[in-house]
Amino acid sequence: MDKPVLDIRDLSVSFLTERGLLRALRNVNIPIDPGRIVGIVGESGCGKSTLISAIIRLLAPNAQIDSGSILWRGDDLLDLEPDAIRALRGDEISMVFQDPMTSLNPVLTIGRQMTDVQHRDNRSKAEKRARATRMLERVGIPDPVEQLDRYPHHLSGGMRQRVAIAMALMTEPGLLIADEPTTALDATLEVQIIHRLQQLQRDFGCAILFISHHLGVIAELCDEVVVMYAGEVVESGSTRDVFLNPRHPYTQKLLDCDPARIKKATRNLPVIGGSLPDLVELPDGCVFRPRCDISIDRCRSERPGLEGSNHCIACHLARQ
Amino acid sequence: MSELLQVNDLRVRFPIKGGLAGILDRERPTHVDVVHGVSLDIRHGETLAVVGESGSGKTTLAMALCGLAPVLDGEVYFDGRLLDKDKNNYLVPDRKRIALMFQDPTGSLSPRMTVRKLLAEPYKIHTGLSDDPDQSALDLLSLVGLGNDFANRYPHQLSGGQARRVGVARALALNPDLLIADEPTAGLDVSIQGEVLNLLADLQQEMGLGIMIITHNLNIVRHVADQMAIMYLGRFLEQGQSGLIFDHPRHPYTAALLAANPSTDPDAASERIELTGEVPGLLKRPRGCEFHTRCPRVQPGCLEQFPDSEGTRAMQAWNCIHPLS
Amino acid sequence: MTNRAGFVRETFTALRKDSLGMTGLVIVVTILLLTLFASILSPYDPLEVDVYNRLVGPSWQHWLGTDQLGRDVLSRVLYGGRVALKVSLVAISVSMAAGLLLGMMAGFGPKWLDRVLVICFDTLRSFPTIMFALSIVALTGPSLNTVIGIIIITSIPVYGRIVRTQTQAMRDNDFILAERAMGASTAHILRHHVLPNIAAPLLILASMDVPAVVGMEAGLSFLGLGVSAPTPSWGSILNDGYSYLRNSPWPIIAGGIPLILVTLGFTFFGESLRDILDPKLRGKGGKF
Repeated sequence: MDKPVLDIRDLSVSFLTERGLLRALRNVNIPIDPGRIVGIVGESGCGKSTLISAIIRLLAPNAQIDSGSILWRGDDLLDLEPDAIRALRGDEISMVFQDPMTSLNPVLTIGRQMTDVQHRDNRSKAEKRARATRMLERVGIPDPVEQLDRYPHHLSGGMRQRVAIAMALMTEPGLLIADEPTTALDATLEVQIIHRLQQLQRDFGCAILFISHHLGVIAELCDEVVVMYAGEVVESGSTRDVFLNPRHPYTQKLLDCDPARIKKATRNLPVIGGSLPDLVELPDGCVFRPRCDISIDRCRSERPGLEGSNHCIACHLARQ
Repeated sequence: MSELLQVNDLRVRFPIKGGLAGILDRERPTHVDVVHGVSLDIRHGETLAVVGESGSGKTTLAMALCGLAPVLDGEVYFDGRLLDKDKNNYLVPDRKRIALMFQDPTGSLSPRMTVRKLLAEPYKIHTGLSDDPDQSALDLLSLVGLGNDFANRYPHQLSGGQARRVGVARALALNPDLLIADEPTAGLDVSIQGEVLNLLADLQQEMGLGIMIITHNLNIVRHVADQMAIMYLGRFLEQGQSGLIFDHPRHPYTAALLAANPSTDPDAASERIELTGEVPGLLKRPRGCEFHTRCPRVQPGCLEQFPDSEGTRAMQAWNCIHPLS
Repeated sequence: MTNRAGFVRETFTALRKDSLGMTGLVIVVTILLLTLFASILSPYDPLEVDVYNRLVGPSWQHWLGTDQLGRDVLSRVLYGGRVALKVSLVAISVSMAAGLLLGMMAGFGPKWLDRVLVICFDTLRSFPTIMFALSIVALTGPSLNTVIGIIIITSIPVYGRIVRTQTQAMRDNDFILAERAMGASTAHILRHHVLPNIAAPLLILASMDVPAVVGMEAGLSFLGLGVSAPTPSWGSILNDGYSYLRNSPWPIIAGGIPLILVTLGFTFFGESLRDILDPKLRGKGGKF
């Protein structure tokens, strides 16, 4: 088996706050193999944004890395110099955000921005433009030549997101990080975009780290899923294993809550009772225990580690 | 049951500021029809879900019904009485009886007010409804399942779900008959979305509220709505009882929307009608049936005129000349 | 009211952590105390002429020396602070109140009103201040009230413009729409929802405006357009000392230092207030 392009090992990140140390990520392990689409599912506060910031080394100034490493093709990103990180960010690791306008400059034409991202190449302007056109075509933009002279605000939301994806792929990165890229889009466009992403992934062979809270999108797009809760990975494995045979109580409850899975119309939708634990004063033992229905004494005292070879679960009861 | 809200052929038109472009480009339209002839009924104690993609005019429809957007044409009856329009063509609804919940749960709460003040405010605007606004505020807080300790918090200290509950409490303060909720679950986690929807369902049962939910999340519509309407470019393409529509959509757009819903079952063989193309802009309305640019069943006749409604609104009605059988 | 007290305490706690802002506050408070208690602290009557001791340098009798009429400069500086304080207090509060009213009318009212008010603001702002002051003084004669009037008239457009922009930015916010949907009147919305949200930037602007107003008063008085002859003001002290600069620099130095201190004090204080009151920088303690 290939070595992972990105290997997050035992990563713990905390933030210095007025109340004390907020432990946003704790012992997170996520290997991303080349050419795979890995989805991260989790609700707000699960640490998704902290994880992305840690990978691209844009953590807030009050953050500190307590343990672990983020290996990029074997080199630890946490040891790299700022210059090297910057080079890597533009070239090898690209990002697509929820709001495409965050990565598009409103006062420059699409064409100008798409040639600008190729600044590291020694090609002629015409060649760069031609490449940009081809790339727009591949993400499914109609009349790409015409679009090059338009400004971002001329385009609809779905088109903008395609342009953002095209720009992210211009440098043929090894890893594309997509942070809720379809959340702002409508169902029909969402499906178009995820199918396009699947297609592009096959063409370019890059790995994709796809973050979403939309379970259906993850199930449809990803090869592997990582379920996060309150800063920890609670379950990970192939999409099929996790969605068809969820074994962590949190994953089970999360899937139960999805109204799309409840085929019979009901006025009483299931919820997960309780609320997220305080990340400054973490409970002892399992982090999900206060909201868990099946906890035993051991869950109170001992924190379960993530165990398993392909389908990993962090739960004392899952192995039985 | 009697009609609580009846809307006949409502239109909302916004002028487009011409500026320099307007002088240079004679063909530039001077106005845009955001809601383009919408008719609907909501009965006491019933929920209507308006479903549509962003830019379809759902929010504008809600705004117009609440007197926050100008109406070009059409009649709105509330509890049998025709609503007046003011001199700028805004509807003048009885604000005590129609409540509106905005999409952004935190952004629709005044940032420098505590929850207590926010909840007491409706009684200060409409005096005479409560002798003790502060006590009523606490009552509302418990109605939506928040403890008294929330009373002194500011909006930015609330989570999305909590802010949404405060929004529900505020909307219900004046004991309205109709609640219009714009994307009540937007931005909420799956586990909390159910809480808010259950709360609305319970309160509806208790108070006999009519509810209009505006959403693009079809998954929740199935569970919460008695009636539904599918909106596209300012018009309803299909409307009627949600059970009937989910089981047997007649309009190709409805069918595509229902199928576009990604499922969490990786094995679900999705027989998806994938739409191609982008949503056309409101400024460049396609000729004839406005959906024809993306419709998988398009035929030459579709370009001639916008199809008339077929079927009955109370059951299932659609605007398509080649509906699914 | 407990909220407001809590807010003040919170602001002060945050201010204590900011050394520059704290320095500003200390300077401002010291100057305020010195001028408020000028009648107790002054060793002499600031108007008392003593021709035998003209233009003497600092000594134990006269800490800051005397001016060309033998008046004690320290006493004049302390009393001059009263003029500065009165001018800035009256001028800023009146122009802020008027600017607030007009700015909110422009920002929230009908479009024609907005246009009329903006034209008025811009017209007023386009006059050069000194020319404007000269012509007013030519009509009314120099006096403290004229100075205050001139400052008010030239400051209203500044406040009005800012309030208008802030109000406009506020007006399409969801929470304002939510209030309208609930049936709140425009007056209610302005008072309870717009005002509290624009108050903070306005207060910051006002605190940064104090040095400008004090300087303007000093400038006008220096040109002989402000306070009339015997009344001490920092500007008139500078004016008096100016002619004798070569023989005795004391009055100029003594009149200049408070101006510099006021500028520094209020600017430091205002800047740190801005950082503290910005809701984006406060509250959750940053995004994690």
